[in-house]
Amino acid sequence: MSTPNDAVSIPRRAEVIREFKGRGGRVAAVLPIHYPRALFRAFDILPVEVWGPPKIDASSAATHLQPYICSIARNALAFVLGGGLDVADLIIVPHTCDSLQGLASVLIDFITPARPVYPIYLPRGNRPSDLTFLASELRSLSNRLEQLTAYTPSETRLMECIEQEEAADRWLADLHQRRTELPLSQYDLYRVLRSREFLPADRLCALAETIIARAGGYPRRDDIPVLMSGIVPEPMEMLRSLEKMGGRVASDDFACCGRRLYPAGRSSEPFVRMAESIIQGPPDPMRGCSIQDRLAHLARLAGTSGARGVVFYTIKFCEPELFQLPALRTGLQEIGVRTLNLEVDLSDPLSQSALTRLEAFLEMIG
Amino acid sequence: MSIGGLVSYHWNVNVFGKVALRGRRWRAELRGNRSRRSSDLAPPLRITPRTKELIFSHYLQGRYANLRRKVAWVTSGAPVEFLRALDFFVLYPENHAAVCGTTRVAEEICGEAEKAGYSRDICSYARTDIGSVLSGRTPAGRLPRPDLLVACTNICQTVLFWYQVLADRLKVPLILIDTPFIYSEAQEHAIEYVRRQLEESVPVAEQVAKQSLDERRLRDVTRHSRDAVELWMQILDRAVHRPAPISAFDQFIHMAPVVEMRGEAYTVDFYSRMLKEVDDRVAGGVGAVRNEKKRLLWDNLPIWYRLRYLAELLGRRGVALIASTYTNAWGELAPMIDPERPFESAARTYLHPILNRGTGHKLATMKRLAERYGIDGVILHSDRSCKPYSIGQVDQCARLARECGLPSLLLEADHSDPRAFSEEQAANRLGAYLELLGV
Repeated sequence: MSTPNDAVSIPRRAEVIREFKGRGGRVAAVLPIHYPRALFRAFDILPVEVWGPPKIDASSAATHLQPYICSIARNALAFVLGGGLDVADLIIVPHTCDSLQGLASVLIDFITPARPVYPIYLPRGNRPSDLTFLASELRSLSNRLEQLTAYTPSETRLMECIEQEEAADRWLADLHQRRTELPLSQYDLYRVLRSREFLPADRLCALAETIIARAGGYPRRDDIPVLMSGIVPEPMEMLRSLEKMGGRVASDDFACCGRRLYPAGRSSEPFVRMAESIIQGPPDPMRGCSIQDRLAHLARLAGTSGARGVVFYTIKFCEPELFQLPALRTGLQEIGVRTLNLEVDLSDPLSQSALTRLEAFLEMIG
Repeated sequence: MSIGGLVSYHWNVNVFGKVALRGRRWRAELRGNRSRRSSDLAPPLRITPRTKELIFSHYLQGRYANLRRKVAWVTSGAPVEFLRALDFFVLYPENHAAVCGTTRVAEEICGEAEKAGYSRDICSYARTDIGSVLSGRTPAGRLPRPDLLVACTNICQTVLFWYQVLADRLKVPLILIDTPFIYSEAQEHAIEYVRRQLEESVPVAEQVAKQSLDERRLRDVTRHSRDAVELWMQILDRAVHRPAPISAFDQFIHMAPVVEMRGEAYTVDFYSRMLKEVDDRVAGGVGAVRNEKKRLLWDNLPIWYRLRYLAELLGRRGVALIASTYTNAWGELAPMIDPERPFESAARTYLHPILNRGTGHKLATMKRLAERYGIDGVILHSDRSCKPYSIGQVDQCARLARECGLPSLLLEADHSDPRAFSEEQAANRLGAYLELLGV
């Protein structure tokens, strides 16, 4: 579908970084998935996320990682080795899975890049003990950031940053919610949604406000709505192909997008509030959610968005996704929601056979 | 639990089963060392029939356990002492998967999971277990249905996803003990987090067990755990002698009780006997490899379906594989276990397994073992199914060679799924490596 999106100007990641550093700020390269954005902002550090990146020559990673490690970890390492993260002042590796745990450890113990590498452990439950632990873990990270920057933000400053990020999260949720009304192609919609990966909260809010102001007034789309689930919609050309085939993403459960629509925390204690927000996010296997919680969430998303099918867009070797996949597919099929599994590797271009399967799936549910 | 069930359990386990297994052991002991083992290797340890008796007895109890006791399925690194103190029958699916690997049925059972949609890229232990649950197939006859699942993330995150599948399919409560990964040193809030989870697990387990935890019994179980683990460590340490009286292959076989029967008095008795036999070998100058020329260290899980092949291949060249990071992991934490403070010490102990620590720590452990045992080289099993154990090996391999002068080999395989093992390729690589060692 052709859409009047020329007026939407999304800043480029490199420009944002240059601008931010130009006025004296620091940049943290952050690996997937969950982390406390507000904490970094309170230290005048801009978190910039690294999801892969895709389509790079990852062969240099083979000098440290075996070929059965997922392409998110391999590509990230190749990017580090190739100097892609030289612009960053520190590297943050949330403990998302065994592969990222290993990558962090190899970085810290063997590769020792010129900038510090800080891991964060994310608890796998949402019990009171998990919340207490995560709040302590964030305090511990804060201590390290204090040592790095020789600066201690006040509690007021920290709360201001938390509120800014919560406002950005609300705008982001609004963009997700009103996606069909927006004058954007699928590709551009995801460029906007994913600009959360590097834009400061205030700029994200301004961008979202501009786009949402132009919502409505466009004919309701008659494309075939699908729910997409997975880690990251890369290569992004997949979205262009989907649109050409007459499909659109009615809702998503991507780790980089829909699984990070965090609710605001409630506590007046900043570390607890940040921990609450992460722990209460949408179901995510990397945070230990049960299969039934995830199934109910996907069924709800499919129902409310009118999706006629679910496309699982799986990264090869991603165990957290692969373990839940059979039960999710069976559960969705039992309630009449058809599913497709496409397995991809970030280093490879999207294969024609994957596109053919996607097209056949759209024809089947269309 | 009906009276009929109790009678059936008693007859099958305590009467018929016990007599049959003891008779089998006696016959094996009488047959002595007339095994098919290669002439390059020492005869199997005399305790081997007793090891088999213990394992068969364990699975026999498991077969009838639902008639008499509550059953918990647990991950291999899970804190098991409070479950034993609550009289759970404890089954280790990983150990069962290893049994499937050694008996070479893992591939078929994995196929059952793959038919149900589980990818070949996930751990083969998990596929074996899920395949067994789906099909009922097991070399153990029958596995007991769990009343409770306990997953501890101190060995990998995989176990959590795996146990969630079990919880979902079997509709059984799942206790999670989450153990934050230690990149350098354990932080106090992480230890406190594990301790709190352990204490919070007790009421859940008590509810399933329908009994209260007896603290005195918990201390006794913890003491048995510590004693068994200490004895195991002493047995491993006898490999400092030349020739080494016990190989890593022997260790892989005889580690089963310290994994799945930790906390039992008979396990302590078993390892006391084993230590005595190993000491007899030391006194008699008996080596696990008859003509020991070189001594190697193994890293990672064993290749269960090729133990004999590898033992004989190395033995023919006078190479003794005498230590491994894997078997060492079941002994090195003994000093942390304190029966008088069972929860506090469990929190610390179960946070510190080698798999829950950084890649640099593993390298340091390998260097320490290499020095202690006079190692000439290292084989690092790059295990497709165990990413947390395998990540870091490329660097570890290079550094062992560069910093310690230890020729090191990265050997691609899988601990349980033979489809990921190419015998031709392995033989070529091992052949070249042994030439490099000069044997």
